[in-house]
Amino acid sequence: MAVHRAVIAGIGHTAFGRFVGRTALDLEAEAVLQAISDAGLAKHDVDGLITDPGPTQGVINGITPHFLTLGQHLGLSPDFVGSEVLGGASSAASIQRAVMAIEAGLCSVCVCVYGDAALSSPGSFAYGRGEESVFGFFGATGLHALAAQRHMAHYGTRPEHFAEVAIAARAHAARTPHAQLREPLDLDGYLASRLVAEPLRRADCCLISDGAAAVVVCAADRARDMRRAPVSILGFGQAHSLCTWSSPGHFDALPAARCGPATLERAGLAINDIDVVLLYDCFTIAVLMQLEDYGFCKKGEAGPFVEGGRIGPGGSLPVNTSGGLMAEGYGGGMMHVIEAVRHLRGEAGDRQIKGAQTALISGHGLGMNTHATLILGQ
Amino acid sequence: MTSDFHPSPLAFEPSKFTRPFWDACRRHVLQAASCNACGHLFLPAGPVCPQCWSADLGAEALSGRGEIAAFTIYRQAYHPDYPVPYVIALIALKEGPRLISNIVGCAPESVASGMSVTVRFASRGEFVLPLFVPAMAEDSNDA
Ligand SMILES: [Zn+2]
Repeated sequence: MAVHRAVIAGIGHTAFGRFVGRTALDLEAEAVLQAISDAGLAKHDVDGLITDPGPTQGVINGITPHFLTLGQHLGLSPDFVGSEVLGGASSAASIQRAVMAIEAGLCSVCVCVYGDAALSSPGSFAYGRGEESVFGFFGATGLHALAAQRHMAHYGTRPEHFAEVAIAARAHAARTPHAQLREPLDLDGYLASRLVAEPLRRADCCLISDGAAAVVVCAADRARDMRRAPVSILGFGQAHSLCTWSSPGHFDALPAARCGPATLERAGLAINDIDVVLLYDCFTIAVLMQLEDYGFCKKGEAGPFVEGGRIGPGGSLPVNTSGGLMAEGYGGGMMHVIEAVRHLRGEAGDRQIKGAQTALISGHGLGMNTHATLILGQ
Repeated sequence: MTSDFHPSPLAFEPSKFTRPFWDACRRHVLQAASCNACGHLFLPAGPVCPQCWSADLGAEALSGRGEIAAFTIYRQAYHPDYPVPYVIALIALKEGPRLISNIVGCAPESVASGMSVTVRFASRGEFVLPLFVPAMAEDSNDA
C-alpha cells in the first residue's frame, strides 16, 4: 500500500449555522487556531497555507487572492501558499496540494482551510451560469436537476430514492452533536418539501452555512512526536470534465468515474476495502451518481441500491456519517475530511464505524466539471 | 433579494466568439460554429475547434430541430424577470450540438425527455432568444 510522506496532524472547525456579526475571516481564523492547537503546534510552525474560500467570499477580490487576505490577518510569512478554485472539489484538492508541496520539500506544516459566511450573504448560491442565464438558468440546483431528471428518465429512479439520501443525512446528523440540522426527516416530510427545480426539492439541496474548517497537513517525519496519532494519506487524484453542455455524457456520469478507480488503484485498494465513505453531497442526485461512478453499485442502479436505509446509520454502507453538507452544515468539503479523520482516530462518538482503517472523501464542483478524491488510512 | 446579484441577465455582453450566434438569432437563424478541418459542429463558438484544435472555423445554419435531452421545471423564482414556472431544457440538436434553452408554447407539465422540439425565436430585451416549442406545436404562434 502506497503511503505518502505527509500526514494529517490536526483538525479544527467552528460551529455551523447562522452567526450574525461573524465574518468568513474570523470563522477561518477560529478554525485554523483550533486545528493548529489540535496538532500540538503553534503559529511559528506554520509554513504553508492553502485556502478554499466558499462561493460567497470568492477566491479573488480584484487582484487580491483569498490566501493573501487571510494570511495577512493571521500574520503569516509561509513558504508555500495557494487558493483552490475547483468549487466543491476545492477542500479535497487543497489537501492534495499540501501533500505535493510537502513531498516536494517546499514546506512542512501546511494549513488547509475552508470558510465562508454564506448565510449572511443572501442570494449567493443563485448565481447565473454564463450566457445561459438569459434563459433563466440560475443556480446549482437547476443544473443538478437536469442530471436528476435524466437519471429518472433513463433508469426509473424515483423521488423515494432521492429521499433516501436526504433522510439518511438527517439520521446521521442526529448523532452529530455539532450538526446544523438534527431534526429527523421522513418520506412524508421529504415529499412535503417545496420544489425548487423539478425534480429537486428543498430537501434535496445541501445547507447554506456560516462556518469554517481547517486541517493541518504535516511532513510524516515531523508528526512522529506530535500530540495526535497521525492519519495517513493513502492516495489522491483529480479528474475534470470541462465541456459541460457540449459533452454528450456530461449529465450521465461525473468525472468521479475516472477519478475514483484511478485513485483506488494508486492506493492499492478496491472500493470494498473502504470503511468510511464521505461523498460530496451538494444535492441528493450527486450522491446517487457518485455511488455508481465509484463502483459501489452498477450504473443506473443507485436508486434501488439506497433503498431500505442502506446508506443511513446502521445500514450496510453508511455514507456521510456526520450528516454531510445536507445536515451537518456546508463545510465546503473540509468537514468531510475532518469526519474521516475522526473515524480513523476512533473519535467519532456514536457515529464511530468500528475498526475503521480506511476512508474515502470526494469533492465535486462547479457545473459538475471538477472532481477530487482523497483516501486516508490509519 | 437575488436581483442584487443579477441586475439583468439580459444585459450581458456576448464575447467576440458568441456574438455571431446572437446576431444570427436576430435574423431568426440558429447557427453553430463549424470546423473546416474536421467538420465538427459545436456550441458555444470559440477560438479553435474543441475536437481537432483547428483555427479554421466557419458557421453553419442549423435546422432548429432537436430533442430534449434533459429538462427541469423551475418552481422557485431566482429573479423577478423570470416568473415561475418555466422550463429549462438541454436540447440535443439534430446536427449534434447541444444547448440550454426554454421550452415554451406548452404546459410545463407536458414536457418530456426525448420530446421533439423546434426553435422559435422570441425578443427579450436587447436579445432575440432561440426558444423551443414541441415539434407538433410548430404551426401555433404563441411563443
Ligand atoms: Zn475540428
